[in-house]
Amino acid sequence: MNNGGLILIVGSLVAAALAFLWLAFKLEAGGRRQEGPAVPDDVRNAASKDVEHIFNDDFREELRNRGRLHFEKIIGENAMFLQQDLRQTTTQLNDYMRAEITRTLQDEFKKYEQSIADAKQIAMDSIEKTVATIEQQRQFLEQQMKSQSDAQKAKIIGRFEEEMSSIINHYVVKAIGNQIDLSDQLDFILNEMENNKQAIIEDIRNGTS
Amino acid sequence: MGPLKLPSTVISQTDIARLMRELNGLDDFFVGAHARQSGTKMGLPKISRQIDLTARENKINLLDMAGRQHMMAELKTIYEKAPNLHISFAIEPSPKAFEKVILWMRSNIHPQTLVSIGLQPAIAAGCVVRTTNKVFDMSLRASLAKEAGYLKELVQGAVDGR
Repeated sequence: MNNGGLILIVGSLVAAALAFLWLAFKLEAGGRRQEGPAVPDDVRNAASKDVEHIFNDDFREELRNRGRLHFEKIIGENAMFLQQDLRQTTTQLNDYMRAEITRTLQDEFKKYEQSIADAKQIAMDSIEKTVATIEQQRQFLEQQMKSQSDAQKAKIIGRFEEEMSSIINHYVVKAIGNQIDLSDQLDFILNEMENNKQAIIEDIRNGTS
Repeated sequence: MGPLKLPSTVISQTDIARLMRELNGLDDFFVGAHARQSGTKMGLPKISRQIDLTARENKINLLDMAGRQHMMAELKTIYEKAPNLHISFAIEPSPKAFEKVILWMRSNIHPQTLVSIGLQPAIAAGCVVRTTNKVFDMSLRASLAKEAGYLKELVQGAVDGR
């Protein structure tokens, strides 16, 4: 509820109270005025006698009762009006308050929902960033491990290739070292010598010259 | 008379030196025989089969001084100038097998080739010939090392499933 509405309601209440007070004051002033201005004594006395005669106690009581009833009626009517106004004002005030509270609550709920949505979005963004970072790390680690694995594999294969022939040679030499008789090797030896014949002759010539 | 033919039993410089010593012994014997008084006992010098074969193959009469001198001169020349090779085997070669090797050398490289024999069990089979300046590795070890690429190809083929 805004301040304007509140001021309007309070102003209405104050105006109704003032109207009620003014009416009461007016009625009381009217009653007093009935006493009238100053008149001569004989008239006054005659009037007093007539008055006493006409406006005897019963009559006065009657008038008083009538006035009282009239006053009560007016008071009752005004009270009823005031009650109606108050009821209407209260109803409007309740409606207004309900509408304001509902609107405020809706606004607050909207803000709350927006805050929740924003927080959710921030959380989602953060989670997505984390997932992306983890994925990057995983890919980097995978690539690193693959390159290391490939390098290690290549190293092992290279070493195997380097050492394999010498290991087999060593094994063969060790295995057949003393098993082959020279007679069985003669063809191989003579064939090899034939292949190296020119080189041997040239070296002998160079060495002896 | 031509250059001295060496029998297959005369192989190394050591053999040549031994032949020269025997020839000197024979010379000494004949000088002593000249100088001896009649009736004095003297023992005949023993000669080895190698000098006997050398003399026979070259048709040299060892009783003849000129023949001995010619043989001595030739042996000195051989000792000093003949090509001397060193050949190593994995095991001790049998004389019969080695005879073929020395005969091949003397018929293909030089008729007076001398050879000293060594042992290298690590070569497994074949031989290693060392000349004055070079080493000719004709062993199974070298042959296997030479074929290492082929062995790699075979292993690679087996790995690839070819």
